[in-house]
Amino acid sequence: MSDFKNYTLPNGINLHIYPTEKFKTIVYSIFLHQNLKKELAAKTALLPYVLERGSKNWPTTRELVITLENLYGADIITEVLKRGERQIVQFILEIVNPVYVQGNGSLEKKGLEVLKDILTNPVVEGDGFKESYVNREKEILVNQVKGLINDKVTYAMERCIQEMCREEDYGVYRLGRLEDLEHMDSSELYSYYQKFLNTAPMDIFVLGNVDTEQTLSLMEETFNFSRGDMFPLEPTLVYKDVEEPRYVEERLEVNQGKLTLGYRTNTLVKDEDYYPLVMCNGILGAFPHSKLFQNVREKASLAYYASSRLEKDKGIMLIASGIETGNYEKALEIIQQQVESMKSGEISEEEFESTRVGLINSVKVMDDSPYQIISRYLSGIISDRQETQEEIIEQINRVRVEDVVRAADKIQLDTIYFLRNKD
Amino acid sequence: MAVICERFLENETIKEKVYVATLDPGLEVFVFPKKGYNKKYASFATQFGSIDNTFYVEGKEDLLEVPDGVAHFLEHKLFEGENGNVFDEFARLGASANAYTNFTMTNYLFSSTDHFEKCFDLLLNFVQEPYFTAESVEKEKGIIAQEIRMYEDNPGWRLFFNLLSCLYEVHPVRKDIAGTVESIMEIDEEVLYKCYRTFYHPSNMALFVVGDLEPEKVIHQVLDNLEKRNYQPLGDIKRIYPEEPQNVREKCIREKMEVSQPLLNLGFKDRKVGFTGRELFKKELASELLLEILFGKASETYTGLYEEGLINDRFGTSFVGEKDYGYSIMGGETPDPDKLYQALLSSIKKYAQGFREEDFERQRRKMLGEFLRNFNSLEFIANNFLYYHFRNNNLFDFVNLLEEITLEDIHARFGELFDENYHSCSIISSNGG
Repeated sequence: MSDFKNYTLPNGINLHIYPTEKFKTIVYSIFLHQNLKKELAAKTALLPYVLERGSKNWPTTRELVITLENLYGADIITEVLKRGERQIVQFILEIVNPVYVQGNGSLEKKGLEVLKDILTNPVVEGDGFKESYVNREKEILVNQVKGLINDKVTYAMERCIQEMCREEDYGVYRLGRLEDLEHMDSSELYSYYQKFLNTAPMDIFVLGNVDTEQTLSLMEETFNFSRGDMFPLEPTLVYKDVEEPRYVEERLEVNQGKLTLGYRTNTLVKDEDYYPLVMCNGILGAFPHSKLFQNVREKASLAYYASSRLEKDKGIMLIASGIETGNYEKALEIIQQQVESMKSGEISEEEFESTRVGLINSVKVMDDSPYQIISRYLSGIISDRQETQEEIIEQINRVRVEDVVRAADKIQLDTIYFLRNKD
Repeated sequence: MAVICERFLENETIKEKVYVATLDPGLEVFVFPKKGYNKKYASFATQFGSIDNTFYVEGKEDLLEVPDGVAHFLEHKLFEGENGNVFDEFARLGASANAYTNFTMTNYLFSSTDHFEKCFDLLLNFVQEPYFTAESVEKEKGIIAQEIRMYEDNPGWRLFFNLLSCLYEVHPVRKDIAGTVESIMEIDEEVLYKCYRTFYHPSNMALFVVGDLEPEKVIHQVLDNLEKRNYQPLGDIKRIYPEEPQNVREKCIREKMEVSQPLLNLGFKDRKVGFTGRELFKKELASELLLEILFGKASETYTGLYEEGLINDRFGTSFVGEKDYGYSIMGGETPDPDKLYQALLSSIKKYAQGFREEDFERQRRKMLGEFLRNFNSLEFIANNFLYYHFRNNNLFDFVNLLEEITLEDIHARFGELFDENYHSCSIISSNGG
């Protein structure tokens, strides 16, 4: 049984309340879902940047920040997420549980007022958002998109995904395309936002030391604006047969080469083979005991990091390692050997057991973080496979070696991306 | 073996309590019960960091000078025991182990939800049972070399160490924690053992455990583990640092890298050093408050620079205060580092007349809220308790010290910390490639 109590507000917003005394804070988290499309992505991504600049009642960033700082450093954070072929805009309000600070019973109410104002009451000029905010935030967003290159580890992985999914919506970067930002004006953006807020599927989470009934009525009162019919969310393309793997090389002034391999798993979160796939990824590369770490790093001494990870909502797996450029052939061979050994079932009992208990551990510790509790439940909503901690553990425990081999057998190498030095 | 002393620390604001025991021969053990958490987190730390490269033990051997990067190298190698890799043993128990080395300490840790006692024994054992061979030391050099290469491509890391190399003339804080690809080649098993015997004596270490646990049981387990090891007392460790002048080494350092936008760090060298304990902690908090007042998101400086397009929301500040050195840093990504550099310097001058009481009170409130919030995280609790313990502080003092600080303290700190004669700047610009 889940600890979330679920409600639907009259305007179609889904509300999920999780009362717990475990944490020092109360977290409010709002998610607005959008289909990931190349022509929409930049526009959607720009919204939280502009909204965070100010609202009618607190029209400048400075006034907003001062108000929040006075609430014991309450924090409003916005994020743009990509989960499968879905783009999600998140607004988070985290406040200190009022029991720890004397005489501050209205912290929650004040914090929510600000959050609501940011969301529903932006600073408007004419028929658009305030232009100076839009222009400045466009610049910020452009720099952030360009800034991806600063962190070579992340950059290499993102580039591999972009190359691999260049003909799919998933190839669109989380923050969209630069060219779409150039001629986007504040009135176009504002009318897009009005429509978005009015019709986007929306989830609100409340987690912390709260009373369910009181929170329900507080939220009904706070989020009482009317909304229209919601637009449908499209399914993510997951199954794909690869004819021939593609090699992509990029040259930059770097000291270390980054080898990234993109695979199609052909397994969806809702599929029966999902937990076998999770085990497969674990044995292959999610832990220090995994094949990649053991063979690329510990045995061959070729890298500091070598690991694999699943983009579960897209059904792809990425293997990443940082190596000397000259060791490309050697590293690639060892990595591919590890994937092959998964397919042929060369899995020791120790590898299997360590992965099983390691995964169970990582599921259990999620309950110790407000953000991870919310994130797990949100994942359940996205994948339409909502499971409790106990249910997940039970299914991990049920996986056998032959299931792992079956899942491994569906994995196909799609793209080899190599970021290397210029010589 | 015996318990030398047992006590507990508590804080009414945070509503938490930590049990402390001093065990013979001088190991401090902390247990912080956290009801309802699945995770248990334990860390075993030694006061041995990258700056400790020249030292001797009182009444013992001669002065020892070791290659840069030894503390970090030792951290890597301790995970290899006589019977293989310790990571694998933690993995069998579903636990994840890790370690990190910074300027002043090395910390070994694990987190687990099940089999706490077994994992804890594993931690206690592997940290106390070094096993270095010529072959395994050689093998590790390739791995660490790749770790160093990875950081060489990290603009934020380069920016930071370039700045420290300008601020400091001779103090080892100016050098990269992992050393260089060249310096680690000089490391062999003998030097690792020498460092180990000095810095991994229990009297130079501390243990911190946090989770839904019973303090008595945990402390007892440590006692049992220490009992069989027959430790002899160790003289005081004397760390030798070169005499650091007050002046900075260089005003400005520039490097070109593959970045989309230039990066700037402006650093001020704290000349008021030599404190430990409460005084050091108070100085640190006053400095952080000061930085928030000057450059926080609600400051006129931040708002102005943001509007002008010179900074983005990742602009940040930090202060580090150790016994022998201290510095404050401010900076971030910017289209025009030289302009930002000048703008920051002139913005500081404006505050010479004074600060607003309301800004001070509001920042104090915010810092308290953020401090409270951090107690959601077991990692924060353990890592910070140890960090402050090694400076003869108690993390809980944060609350009282924050309350004690006055606007006058902030004024005083401003005068000490922000003298234009003692700053350096580090710039990373795009190589245009």
